Amino acid sequence: MKKRKIMALLMSFAMVCSLTACGGKDTGASQPEPAPAPADNTAAPDTSANQAEPAPADPAQAADITLWTYPVGNWGDSATVDALIANFNAAYPDIHVTVEYLDYTNGDDQINTAIEGNQAPDIVLEGPERLVANWGARGLMVDLADLWTDDAKAAIYDSVENACKSNDGIFYEYPLCMTAHTMAVNRDIFEAAGALQYLDEEKGTWTTENFQKAIQAVYDNGQQNVGAVYCSGQGGDQGTRALINNLYGGTFTNPEHTEYTANSPENIKALELLKGMDGINFDASIAGGDEVNMFCNGTFAVAFCWNATQEKNNAEQGNINFDVLPMAFPTESGDPQLCGGIWGFGIFDNGDQAKIDAAKTFIDFMANDEKQAVESVKASNFWPVKDLGNIYEGDELMSEYAKFIPYMGDYYQVVPGWAEARTAWWNMLQQIGSGTDVSAAVEEFVTTANTAAAK
Amino acid sequence: MTKQNPMSKALVRRETIAGYAFMLPSLIFFLGFVVYPMIQCVYTSFFDATMNREDIFIGLANYKELFQDKTFLGALKNTVVIVIVSVPITCIFSLWVSSVIYDLKGFACSAFRCIFYLPVVTGSVAVAVVWKWMFNNYYGIFNYIGTSTGLIEQNINWLGDERFALGCIILILLTTSVGQPIVLYVSALNNVDQSLVEAAEVDGATKFQCFWKIKWPQIMPTTLYILVITTINSFQCFALIQLLTSGGPNHSTDTIMYYIYYNAFKLYRYGYGNAMGVVLAIMIALLSALQFKMAESK
Amino acid sequence: MKQKQTKQLDVYKIISVIIIAVLAFAFAFPLYWIIIGSFKTSAAINSATPQWWPQEWVLDNYRKLFSKQTAALWEINIPFTSISFAGPTVPAAIRWLLNTVFMAVASMILTCITSAMAGYALAKKRFVGRTLLFSLIVCAMALPKQVILIPLLREMASLELYNTIWAVIFPIVGWPFGVFLMKQFAEGIPGEMMEAAKIDGAGEWKTFYTIALPLIKPGIGALAIFTFINSWNDYFMQLIMLTSTKNLTISLGIAKLQAENATDFGLIMAGASLAAIPIIVVFLIFQKYFTKGITMGAVKG
Repeated sequence: MKKRKIMALLMSFAMVCSLTACGGKDTGASQPEPAPAPADNTAAPDTSANQAEPAPADPAQAADITLWTYPVGNWGDSATVDALIANFNAAYPDIHVTVEYLDYTNGDDQINTAIEGNQAPDIVLEGPERLVANWGARGLMVDLADLWTDDAKAAIYDSVENACKSNDGIFYEYPLCMTAHTMAVNRDIFEAAGALQYLDEEKGTWTTENFQKAIQAVYDNGQQNVGAVYCSGQGGDQGTRALINNLYGGTFTNPEHTEYTANSPENIKALELLKGMDGINFDASIAGGDEVNMFCNGTFAVAFCWNATQEKNNAEQGNINFDVLPMAFPTESGDPQLCGGIWGFGIFDNGDQAKIDAAKTFIDFMANDEKQAVESVKASNFWPVKDLGNIYEGDELMSEYAKFIPYMGDYYQVVPGWAEARTAWWNMLQQIGSGTDVSAAVEEFVTTANTAAAK
Repeated sequence: MTKQNPMSKALVRRETIAGYAFMLPSLIFFLGFVVYPMIQCVYTSFFDATMNREDIFIGLANYKELFQDKTFLGALKNTVVIVIVSVPITCIFSLWVSSVIYDLKGFACSAFRCIFYLPVVTGSVAVAVVWKWMFNNYYGIFNYIGTSTGLIEQNINWLGDERFALGCIILILLTTSVGQPIVLYVSALNNVDQSLVEAAEVDGATKFQCFWKIKWPQIMPTTLYILVITTINSFQCFALIQLLTSGGPNHSTDTIMYYIYYNAFKLYRYGYGNAMGVVLAIMIALLSALQFKMAESK
Repeated sequence: MKQKQTKQLDVYKIISVIIIAVLAFAFAFPLYWIIIGSFKTSAAINSATPQWWPQEWVLDNYRKLFSKQTAALWEINIPFTSISFAGPTVPAAIRWLLNTVFMAVASMILTCITSAMAGYALAKKRFVGRTLLFSLIVCAMALPKQVILIPLLREMASLELYNTIWAVIFPIVGWPFGVFLMKQFAEGIPGEMMEAAKIDGAGEWKTFYTIALPLIKPGIGALAIFTFINSWNDYFMQLIMLTSTKNLTISLGIAKLQAENATDFGLIMAGASLAAIPIIVVFLIFQKYFTKGITMGAVKG
């Protein structure tokens, strides 16, 4: 009993001492060496000066780096990523990579707190809307110019290249894969409701008018919830935007990506239409991920947040027991503009050149190594951003989805103020769902978003 | 107090040294992790502070904006609503429950006490996730019970509907906050001077009179304590909001606590968030001062 | 006359007890639903008609929970050094549980020690600045932690404690409720006893250790219980301060699980069971002390 008390006292004393030592400002003595546990590395910008002196001469070797991935296909699955990293370590045994897996609900908050906590990851796998428009624009990311060699520029598709650089032409992302986000319908339910006549299965397109008829038919057939304009958060929000923009040919921003145009008459008309449709709810309690799950378990008959990897993963996990029919978003003109996803790597500037070099080595290996690149892309279940040959040879599912790539529209998610704008977007949908007048809500959104863009 | 005990200077010095020596461990944590951040918070609230940029001094602009920010005012209103609704209900409900169960024989009283305390120990996250499921629009049992008993005509999207979301949050908060007051009231009621009660009963006082005139004054200190802890508790309901609604739909469940978090990590407005923190701190300080005044005047 | 009143009373009482029994059932229901839900098949969970009692019991949800991610069972990092010891690899959820236990116990021990000392000083030492300190403590007691979220995060970052369990523990220890509580207890130490000890030649520390400490022991017990439960359930600090999978606590782990698989309620309930059951078992075992501790805190507070 007594012993324990003394122990406890000693412990608190030791802690107090270490704290006071810390309060007395770091000196070399209390400066930790790079910790063996990589996620614990404490290389903050303000301490890098101390560490620079004994830095090993050989860069790109012997470094501990962290990779944080969003669930981009199987890049969110630890078994897959472990295998990819094993490949990397076979080539570069001295670079140790620790992975953390983020989700689309809280991932941004997590990175943002980590940035404030001086523990931003070294590499992030995500798209330009975060890497370029958000963290890049805030000066947190490393310029990847030396990865974007002339060869790389020649090989990578121009539209992708443009999305990966800021307005000043600085590259903050090195892309790996891309896709066109589609929607999907539950073919079984549609067939039972006699709604298949309204869509072109071959081309995967339908008109706005037929979309209305189809939803109505499914609703009349007893499916109370046909689909949902989900808006509890940002997860999968490109789906709601694509739906609304396509219905009457509206756009989300102007062509120069400097201003938000969600208040155009086309968009307002689309929102009014959705609001009035039977079977379509504005649901503020779910986000894109929930919608996908609920589509898979048959609660919804259509999903607005969909792409190839959704079907592949859910089918593999045995979540789907019906025929999924991927579709482009309905349009009046028959010329859908699908929202693209472009995923790739960005590097946070943590002030440690050795880590940055190691991170670049990692990216170069994952995206450019002849054998590895195919595997890296395949892990995402999306398409490469340059010509790698037909990597999905014989894969029926991927061939089915390939037909949507030509419908890819403008990649607008690089507008300044993107983080604020997407927050305002789901708030706007919630407002509309709660009964606020559509034009008033849209007007408010555009004002907020444009203010953020002008900053 | 010090004045009443005339002490020599040497003694004062000795007491001071000893006093601070004993305070030291606690002070390090208190000053280091509560007071210092609080000072920082006030200081930064005068700046336009954001991620990875030098802070810009803007004087009182954050505060000015605060009181024109509809969302903030809404959050302020929601915070006040949560406190005003949940505190009295918690107190009255737990008093009623305790007054019924405190003299139950044997096992019953402690079993009830235990059950009402369960949601407290279950933990806010586990509680939040299970309620999220129960309130779910499509698979939740509330909609099932409601529609199958005919209480509601069709499924209600409890957490996704502006009209119900805040009420749902308050309901959950209530279930997690009555446990402690019930324990306290039960013991307070058991400690009521029984001879006074019996004397009153002999004089023909009704049960209600008996309670109001004799028991109530005696459990008053407990009531005040419960008021204080329940208020603190209801100000801290962050987890429920972050996990269940994220402040939505349409900001109808935003509280200041959540809105600070939202501004910091979704909008990167640190100075603005801090200004909110200062306003909230002032509000709470006033409220606690009021409650302590009440406690002293009793 | 008296008989009649007793009878009336009984009717009121019986009705009330019945109502309360129903309510008690409602209060216990979420916990029941968590545990039952964790054993249901996904079909049973996603059906609009709930199964009050699972028709088929499955362990799939737990299997999924434990197969998700892995972490070393323990990893002891001495603060401010790079020395660390890692344990065997286990499912991350187990690690989270261990982190939570460590966090709650460390907070509890530290809070009890620091608060007992400080409370004693505030109650028994007449030192300069005492009143000021005490009012500061009272003011800070009700402050929600969200108020200092940003400065605290930056502070932890500059102390290099961010993303360590200490970043959660230290603010809990700093929260002055414990000091306040212990002061109320220490007020009750009779002055004569301390005088007597002094006359016997005991120093300050010995007086505290031999006279004061035994007298405020029940109070320390109450505080220990408070701190343990509060830190176990303190989600906010954890959310802000911890990011690596291996550093998460069980609450945070469940919250993340929820964000990743929002409608996979079976999996989430399995996690919630794992988070709730240990502390409920602790509660049921120490139930008597819990209620005693809580009441004592109130009487003194």
